[in-house]
Amino acid sequence: MRPLTEREKRIVRIAGAGVAIYLALFYGCRFLEKQRSEYRQLVAEAGNLRRQALPYEGRVQVVQKLMEDFRMDPAKLKKATVVADASAAIQNRAKNGGVQLGPIRESMTSGQGRGLATVQLEGSGQIPAVLAFLGGLDRIGFPVIVDSAQLTAVTGRPGQVKMNLTIIILDFEGWKVTEAPHA
Amino acid sequence: MAGGRLVKKIAFLNPPPIYVEIGQSLLKAFRENAGMELPLERLPDGRLTAPCREKTALALKKFLQPKGWQPRAGAFCAIGARGVSLRQLSIPAGAKEEFHQRLLLQIEAEFPLPPDELAWGWQPLGETRPSNGAITKQDLLVAAVKKEVVADYQELLAACGTNPVFTLAALARSRLCQRPPDTCAMLDIGHSQSELTCFEKGIPTVSRIIFWGGEHDSSPADAGLVALVQILKDGLTGTKLFVSGNNISDEFTARLAKALGNGWQCERLEVAGGDGRSAAIAGLQKFAEQDGSPPLAIRIKQSSGAASLATADVKKWATHAVLLAVVVLLLPFAEALLFKPHLAKKVSTFKTAAARLTVIDRELDFLQYLKQSQPPYLDALYVFSKSAPSGSHFDTLSMNSHGEVSLRGSFRDGQQVADFRSKLIASGFFANVTVEEQTPTPDRQKVNVRISAQEKPAAQLQSLAIGPTADEIAKMKNEKGAPSGASPSSPASAPPAAAHSSRKETQ
Repeated sequence: MRPLTEREKRIVRIAGAGVAIYLALFYGCRFLEKQRSEYRQLVAEAGNLRRQALPYEGRVQVVQKLMEDFRMDPAKLKKATVVADASAAIQNRAKNGGVQLGPIRESMTSGQGRGLATVQLEGSGQIPAVLAFLGGLDRIGFPVIVDSAQLTAVTGRPGQVKMNLTIIILDFEGWKVTEAPHA
Repeated sequence: MAGGRLVKKIAFLNPPPIYVEIGQSLLKAFRENAGMELPLERLPDGRLTAPCREKTALALKKFLQPKGWQPRAGAFCAIGARGVSLRQLSIPAGAKEEFHQRLLLQIEAEFPLPPDELAWGWQPLGETRPSNGAITKQDLLVAAVKKEVVADYQELLAACGTNPVFTLAALARSRLCQRPPDTCAMLDIGHSQSELTCFEKGIPTVSRIIFWGGEHDSSPADAGLVALVQILKDGLTGTKLFVSGNNISDEFTARLAKALGNGWQCERLEVAGGDGRSAAIAGLQKFAEQDGSPPLAIRIKQSSGAASLATADVKKWATHAVLLAVVVLLLPFAEALLFKPHLAKKVSTFKTAAARLTVIDRELDFLQYLKQSQPPYLDALYVFSKSAPSGSHFDTLSMNSHGEVSLRGSFRDGQQVADFRSKLIASGFFANVTVEEQTPTPDRQKVNVRISAQEKPAAQLQSLAIGPTADEIAKMKNEKGAPSGASPSSPASAPPAAAHSSRKETQ
């Protein structure tokens, strides 16, 4: 085979360099363009996430305020123990508030409703004690709603009333958001 | 003026020039106010030894400290007379290419080596003059030296980031002479050997080395001086001798003039002392300051010698330009390349944390439901206690979370029942109030009633101001324990404090 002349070698070198530069530019540009496209996608995604997270700043404050009002963190409530704990808290509050409790009946509700259990309790006491008990039930640290209340005057004991309450204990674990909450 | 300032600013960017004298055994370099001297070691053929080249290059780099962002500094180099041949040539004038070809032919004819093996330079001597009536000729002075020697110097200085230009040391020294006569000689005395150059009509005709140095000046009984005078008388024309060299005194020049006799005048060239200073370097400085470049530049390649250095600079700038272009092209992608990993990490972290948002939604929904589902029992009791007339008695009061209220009790008469009902409606708390049964007792002293009512929806109740006013609270505090409205046995006779607290909680 004839050896290449210097001129031919130079042409081969230049051509090789040209091809290398072309390939570098071609693949380099594709790589860089891909990187930039992915970055733009990420930026758009980050913007969406930011917009999505923005309302939660207000929601978190509302949740904190409500948790302080109810003295309760719903996420810490355990389904297995919430009924027992709530019942104990109710009885404790009645005892501390000067309300004498009578029969208490607990019944678990069906799984379809929002309530986990219903507690029916009877008690009696002075009017201020009964009303304070009634007004403070929402701050016992458990999600309870007084479904019905019946107050009856005790014959022969002025200032004393008998109460009959139906209390529903809500289930947070089984709670499903039905609609977007208003922050 | 603005243009002048701009030029000054640009000149400020350029490094100051360096002046170099390369002798047989010593290299002197001077830049601004600093100088250095380096010993040189040579091979028998006059070239520098490899260790000497390395050592000298290192020392020069340290001395010059070239900066990458600055262009190459100009280096004005004066080379000694050893190995240098001087010829005066007369060449027919013509086009540039033609003239160059003729010059090459003349050099080939006049010098012992072909032009390719020489580093050479030329300078015109006067104007072109007509010859043989028609052809005009140009007189030239050509200086040539072995190419390898100058190539070594050029390589050495170029490696130190300079752009060297070579000329004869004797020509540089001649610049220092004040009003030189047409014919004179110049003697530069070194340590062990000296350089003698003869000028005729201001043009160097002969430049040679004489083996007599400053060390002989101290020999007893002027024996050394006699030897020098003998050498000078053999080769000198004219009567003026300029003397230069380190440690040369006026007394020496006087003795030398006396020894030469026959009306010879010896004049010492004044040169400031110090490292790197010499008559040649002072002459180079004058050339650079007044003419910009020396008149007889010795080049390795005549056509492309300077161009190659220029090409090197062009290559350097072209490389910088290409790099800059690449940077400009990459700049739009730089953000993506730099921030993408960080952003991807943040997005991933946020997505992981986004599960917590669902919990927040659930908690909010749950707590809002709990708040909205709390029935306003105490508000209802407060309304009853405010509306009940004195003497009335409530036996039973039932309420539920649907807002249904039923009451059983007794009033003094029917008018009280009607008033009570009117007050309940007027409170705005109830949507309707129904007296389901109203029966007088057998003794006609009382009226037993059964009343049912329906509370208004929670949204409407929120706009009502239910509860005691500030004045009422103050009054009730004073009358603490006193019955209000209904009889003490009435379940609806809520204490003001409890009613107030219920109001607050409801709100």
